[in-house]
Amino acid sequence: MIEWYNQLLKQIIIYQYQLNSYISSTIRSLNDDNMYETSLLILGVAFLYGLIHAAGPGHGKALVALYFTSNKSHYRKAFKMGYMISITHAFSALIFTFGIFYILKTMFRRNFNELSNIAMQISAFMIICVGLYLIYEAYKNKYNKELKIKKTNKSEYAVAFSAGVVPCPGVMTIVLFCIMLKQYFLGVLAAITMSLGMGLTISVAGILSILLNKKTSHKLDSKAYILEITGGILILILGIFLFTSVGYK
Amino acid sequence: MKIITTLILLINIVYAHPHTFIEVYPTITIKGNKTEKIDFIWKLDEMTSSMLIMEFDVNQNGKLDQNEQSFVYENYFSPLIDYNFYTDITVNDKIQKFPKPTNFNSFIENNRLCYSFSIEETINIKNTLLDFGDTDFFVAMILKKEFVSIKGAKGIVSDLDNDFYFGYRLEFK
Repeated sequence: MIEWYNQLLKQIIIYQYQLNSYISSTIRSLNDDNMYETSLLILGVAFLYGLIHAAGPGHGKALVALYFTSNKSHYRKAFKMGYMISITHAFSALIFTFGIFYILKTMFRRNFNELSNIAMQISAFMIICVGLYLIYEAYKNKYNKELKIKKTNKSEYAVAFSAGVVPCPGVMTIVLFCIMLKQYFLGVLAAITMSLGMGLTISVAGILSILLNKKTSHKLDSKAYILEITGGILILILGIFLFTSVGYK
Repeated sequence: MKIITTLILLINIVYAHPHTFIEVYPTITIKGNKTEKIDFIWKLDEMTSSMLIMEFDVNQNGKLDQNEQSFVYENYFSPLIDYNFYTDITVNDKIQKFPKPTNFNSFIENNRLCYSFSIEETINIKNTLLDFGDTDFFVAMILKKEFVSIKGAKGIVSDLDNDFYFGYRLEFK
């Protein structure tokens, strides 16, 4: 199983390497004669790049997986959360890229690393809060199913925002590359299409987690809150892990 | 228990994924089963290169002058010692400290940022492995058979059999 997972990761990285190279050479080949067809091709490849980029390891999917494995939800919620995360992730990247490029102007990489670390710490802190909140709610509502439904809406936004607030370096790199070649509009569109691809992958991670929840939670029946508390604790651990690893760097 | 195990396994997916791709071109000179010199060229992917070139090429003349290269060396290349320059040299199952790189040069080639450097270390190639990869998983080192040039021996490139990060292995025959 681990071997299979590693092979998959390796393949994902090789695809990313190839797509990254393909996108950069295609953007560079843009000219007045091939503007529309090449732009469409770039956007299509950016979607694919987002799809594959998000298939690699990342804290967003870990959070979504833990959340949906431990909380009962509908499949459409997985799509909603997947796209909330990816859109926040992409917009955060757009704001960071344009902000650093036009306000700080120099030392892009350094500023990018420093600001990314700050964003990651904020995200980790929020994930810790989400974990604590889920544990508290699961414990409080263990016998009250109506309150549980109200809770999930609030916590879903918190999960999505805490995972998405960290700007996606993949999106930032493409946007910056487009800015440098003075393809501003294409850069924004590429960020959006890439986020659509990422959203789809994160949604699939959410759907698989909901499936896992459906398979397991009925066995726990009235003790399903144990699963929710466990999920909350693991999300809390994830937040602490991220917070300390960013602090360590 | 099964559920908890599954949930804990999911934690595995928190590791970062690479955003920078570096192609590695090693040229190895071997005499009498020992390395005389290993020259490396790293070629960074075009997107990362554009970001870095913007920062490094201060006078924007399309090349890296001496003072710009010194900046690259001090601020970007030297700190990679903490990561063993993404290259583990293993001799008889023991990872060696990466020798101090010499002849560092950074330049721009086909819109890509390149680093070249050498290590002048005598290493017996018997039971020696060169593993390329980033344990932090932020950089993907790419090594292909056609990137390798060995004078005086033959080399085999394979995937690094590692559970934690992506990499390639070069061993001698």
